[in-house]
Amino acid sequence: MSTGTRPPVRVGHEQLMALIDHTSAVIYMRDVDGHYLLVNREYERLFNLHREEIVGLTDHDLFEAPIADEFRANDLAAIARGIPLQVEEQAPGEDGLHTYVTVKFPLHDGAGHAYAICGISTDITARKRAEEEVRRLNDELELRVRQRTAELEASTRELDAFAYSVSHDLRAPLRSLEGFSQVLLEDYAGDLAEEAQGYLRRIQANVGRMAQMIDDLLHLSRATRSQLKRDRFDLTALAREVVAEISDPARSATWNISDNMAAQGDPHLVRLVLQNLLGNAWKFTSRAEHSVITVSVHPQSGVDVFEVRDNGAGFDMKYADKMFDPFQRLHSAGEFEGTGIGLAIVHRVITRHGGRIVAEGAVGEGAAFRFSLTPAPADWELR
Amino acid sequence: MTERPILLVEDNPDDAVLTVRAFTKNRIRNEIVIATDGEQALLRLLPADGEGLRPALILLDIKLPKIDGLEVLRRIRDDDRTRTVPVVVLTTSNEERDVLSSYRMGANSFVRKPVVFEEFVSAVNALGVYWLIVNEPAPSG
Repeated sequence: MSTGTRPPVRVGHEQLMALIDHTSAVIYMRDVDGHYLLVNREYERLFNLHREEIVGLTDHDLFEAPIADEFRANDLAAIARGIPLQVEEQAPGEDGLHTYVTVKFPLHDGAGHAYAICGISTDITARKRAEEEVRRLNDELELRVRQRTAELEASTRELDAFAYSVSHDLRAPLRSLEGFSQVLLEDYAGDLAEEAQGYLRRIQANVGRMAQMIDDLLHLSRATRSQLKRDRFDLTALAREVVAEISDPARSATWNISDNMAAQGDPHLVRLVLQNLLGNAWKFTSRAEHSVITVSVHPQSGVDVFEVRDNGAGFDMKYADKMFDPFQRLHSAGEFEGTGIGLAIVHRVITRHGGRIVAEGAVGEGAAFRFSLTPAPADWELR
Repeated sequence: MTERPILLVEDNPDDAVLTVRAFTKNRIRNEIVIATDGEQALLRLLPADGEGLRPALILLDIKLPKIDGLEVLRRIRDDDRTRTVPVVVLTTSNEERDVLSSYRMGANSFVRKPVVFEEFVSAVNALGVYWLIVNEPAPSG
């Protein structure tokens, strides 16, 4: 920058006044007794007074007593401290009280005595009001969350009571149907034609199916309402336990369960997942020459993805989305037995963990189910 | 085998018929006394005056009219006259909380009634063999 031939600028009273007149802060100076010595243009604008009218007055001439008292107390505090003091103050504005952050500092004479006090006040009302609004919205939100939680708890309790009475009351008539059909078969076999006895056995078989459906629905309901735990557990050990429950040594099958699969979740609920997925794999490989069922884990961008794969009957990919709906079956009862609840339970448990599941297969070429048990980013895709 | 009766506390008449049949099929010939609600059961077991029924075994449903099964069980266990009688909770429910509270109240076992009658017959057989033959009852005081 070149000063050229321009004369050097002198900074004097006029220049400093121009400076303080062009700020959005409110600036003023009072003597130690509280009489105004100087105010800036923003002060004039704010209180709609001309500076000549203000000089010589005190805050008690301009404001209500409680406000003037507070200003005076802050002035005296700044004088007593001798160094700049930052306080929050309130003063009336056109639309109610405004809040200011004010810095006050005393001016000292050569002997070190304070002879005036300066103040620079910045209006923070907008910020204050925004903060107040955020606080109000938060309180409202919290209240709403509490209400919703209470409603949800009430409906869970209702669901609980419903499931309980289903488990108790719906089974009783089934026992009666099954039991008295059996009584007929045992006590009146001589009076009943072979065909009639066959009908009774059909009734019993259907009663059995209905009982199974009730139990499965209860499992589904429990998978929804029971408290979710998040423990670290050994999925390999759990899978091996489930295999021991469902497999039959008389049937030739190969189980490949990977070692050391650790998982994070509710072992009780994940057991339901494995019972259903491995149970399905076992069921749908029953017509394969040799069943091969594999349980493994594949990390996919930081998320553990577990896979249950079989070489069984498989399914048509165009039904892949439907198969997780309750009572949805892709095979006729004559082909493979089932109530159509199993995968709905699996889906419910995995969703409750925040995880995802996908199914992949082709008719006659086996099926694979891949699932995660941990929440993943929204754009994460399970492949 | 003890000659004392079996008390069946059951409000469903079909279940009562089938339970009696299951005992008969297992050649368990003890008299079976049926109470159709909790109040009746308590009247038989713990009358205000007199001795009351001293069964070899009580089969108790949980969900009963008037006084429910768990309350019946509590009062049976609270009274010296019936404290040591074996009680088998026999019910449709296998809700964890029912199983737990039954044991907490002092049930000796908990059996979920199967839907298939033949399974029920074998369950009753096991119960009869254990509680009426194998088990040595507390000496009556």
